[in-house]
Amino acid sequence: MNRYAMLTAFGQDRPGIVAALAEGLFQLGCNIEDTCMTRLRGEFTMMVMVRLPDGLSADQLASRLTPHTSPLGLTVLCREVPAQAAERGSELDMPIFMLSVYGADHPGIVAKIARVVADHGGNITDMNTRVIGADDRPVYTMILEVQMPVGSKPEALGQALDRLKPSLGVDLTFRPLEQVRL
Amino acid sequence: MSARSILLYPDPALKAKTAQVSPTNPDVAAIVQDMLDTLKASPGVALAAPQIGQLVQIIVVDVSRKKGEQGHGLVVLLNPHILQQDGPRMIREGCLSVPDYTGNVLRYERTIVQGISPDGLPVTLVTSGFEALAFQHELDHLDGTLFLDRIASLSTDLFRRKR
Repeated sequence: MNRYAMLTAFGQDRPGIVAALAEGLFQLGCNIEDTCMTRLRGEFTMMVMVRLPDGLSADQLASRLTPHTSPLGLTVLCREVPAQAAERGSELDMPIFMLSVYGADHPGIVAKIARVVADHGGNITDMNTRVIGADDRPVYTMILEVQMPVGSKPEALGQALDRLKPSLGVDLTFRPLEQVRL
Repeated sequence: MSARSILLYPDPALKAKTAQVSPTNPDVAAIVQDMLDTLKASPGVALAAPQIGQLVQIIVVDVSRKKGEQGHGLVVLLNPHILQQDGPRMIREGCLSVPDYTGNVLRYERTIVQGISPDGLPVTLVTSGFEALAFQHELDHLDGTLFLDRIASLSTDLFRRKR
């Protein structure tokens, strides 16, 4: 039975971070499965799902990586994930919606939007946010992918999001994403 | 004359260049028949010759196989190319040759396609909506282009297909 770990690591961005982490994992016999890495401002952040070799636990992995990661000043966290969650399974067929939100930056936008989505049964499966605009007039932007399970009401969620617009001072669009099989 | 298996990436045929064909070429009828049989046995609405390992410029499209779609019905085109397209839109597209995944791809709402029929007659089709997407997708196959070549980001554009 395969064993998997989720590894997160981040540190001040510089050339060689991915190389150092990937070499360390390779030398320890780990197999890199799915990853998501990006730079958030000046920090390079990595989320890596790895398949563990026999005899290596997720707890040991972080410390065994230290020789590779500490010279780069990376913070590394590691936890075993159930194989059930890590194996490549198929997802249920469910409608997908994209939600774009943008407006003058102030605290609470994400919290209020995410709460409304959750209360309507929506599942956020992908989300990116950026502060854009001029320094003295920052604009908050967020793009969310939301799965709506069978039985949930996307129209009701759309209306609830519209009602948030005046109080949050944001503009938003909530739209279905067309899926085409060819 | 029979349904073939649809090749899956990384089969090299899916990334190969294809050759133009002449309708008088005696092999064409057999390839077209195999494509039609394969399409019929598949869950899809369209096929390009490289998907059954034939490196020639032939596509078959029949969007009426999808409920609610009509389009031009069954179309067989040799040496097709796009004359014009407009109305860019982002859709999430899947491919029989890359099972289980879909990707966000920029396509066009309307496409004018030109080619020749198996009888050798010139054909120009004005397509829109789902049918236009199908033609754009199949024409990509003739260039060895998969939707994986068109996505910009694995994190925001590639998704496990919903079954």
